[in-house]
Amino acid sequence: MTDPNLGSDPGPGEARLRQRQRVQVITMFAAAALAGGIGFLTGYFDQGDGNLLLGDWNKLKLSPALAVLIAALSITVFLIVPIQNMRKADDYQREVSLVAFTGGFFAVTAGFPVWAALYAGGFVPPPHAFGVFAIAYVAMLASFLYARWKI
Amino acid sequence: MKNRLKVLRAERDWSQAELAGRLDVSRQAVNAIETGKHDPSLPLAFRIARLFDMRIEEIFDDEL
Repeated sequence: MTDPNLGSDPGPGEARLRQRQRVQVITMFAAAALAGGIGFLTGYFDQGDGNLLLGDWNKLKLSPALAVLIAALSITVFLIVPIQNMRKADDYQREVSLVAFTGGFFAVTAGFPVWAALYAGGFVPPPHAFGVFAIAYVAMLASFLYARWKI
Repeated sequence: MKNRLKVLRAERDWSQAELAGRLDVSRQAVNAIETGKHDPSLPLAFRIARLFDMRIEEIFDDEL
């Protein structure tokens, strides 16, 4: 039994859903492009000896205007876009996101003391802020993929 | 939680995407609910019940 109201034309709910999914995909690609832009700007215009990935990010030296631009881009990519996506998420996406955020949280709260202890024992380099940031992000991504697979 | 969503959907010959559109959620959400891996929120459970013109407990059962 096929609903005559459906046919090939989407109903208002389907149209709204498709529009929302389109916006989410566009937003994710835009955020990825912005994140890439941040990496490029940081690496290309760095006037110091710093490296965001290797831990000596405190030696980065940027012009004030570029620093403000990167800060604004970072707020967009890591704060505004995720909040907007969360506001558009449905039940299921919220549950998956909750698993992802929880994974990131536990990875940091457990990861930092483990890293510090291993450093004290001479096994690894000292903990640094970007490393902790990376642990959080990688753990969130891994937890997200796990949740999508399990739920 | 077990539910009859898949049966109700099949009776109406709707795809998961069609049902998702009617409920204004993602297809993945419908799939996760149908397989019992995700329990819908109370507002979504009410939307599902209204769509099928049934009571929530006629669709969802925590003792099945």
